[in-house]
Amino acid sequence: MNREEIISTTKRFLSEEFEVDENTILPDNNLQKTLDLDSLDYVDLVVVIEENLGFKPTADDFKAVDTFDDFYNLVEQKLAELA
Amino acid sequence: MLIDKQNITRFIPQRFPFVMIDELVKADESGFESSFKIDDDNLFLNEGILSESSLVENIAQTCAAGFGYVNSLKGEGEGQLGFIGAVSRLSVEKLPATGATISTKIEVLSTFDAIHLIQGTASSEGEKLVECQMKIVIA
Repeated sequence: MNREEIISTTKRFLSEEFEVDENTILPDNNLQKTLDLDSLDYVDLVVVIEENLGFKPTADDFKAVDTFDDFYNLVEQKLAELA
Repeated sequence: MLIDKQNITRFIPQRFPFVMIDELVKADESGFESSFKIDDDNLFLNEGILSESSLVENIAQTCAAGFGYVNSLKGEGEGQLGFIGAVSRLSVEKLPATGATISTKIEVLSTFDAIHLIQGTASSEGEKLVECQMKIVIA
């Protein structure tokens, strides 16, 4: 899955799961604020990532994630590790 | 059986008359099972029928005992404080009566840090009573 495919795939399931407009999911936007995530929502985020991308991120993985661009980096890295 | 009625309160914070499980039957990282017989002095009976909320409490206490037991095997102490963060996808099929035995199964769906997403199902004599998902936070 290349970067563009990661962006389109994650946009689709994140907007669906967290009921936000796909157009608000932009690379420089803050992931937590855009998706309106509280601490309990992160377990839902882990579930949809595992269902759609096949890996399970940990709390440590999210320490380096502020923006969606950071999130795409994380997904790229995890998918490369799986390959 | 892993924990009997005499020892169950070592693993959950509740005390009589709020204890809603008798025994922990099975527990590992993937899930737990408990059993509970409804005595006629149960605080949550209304005209001999157990309330919906006490079945949800039964699921939560099964989680508490299960996580407590599994964590005790790792040397993390028997009873750990936990909270229900959220209850979702709740479905009530039937309410049990005095004398019935409830068998409750928990599947741990996902874990993020100290937050566990679980699927709980309480049944009696093979009939589903209640099921729901819960987010359990272990302090």
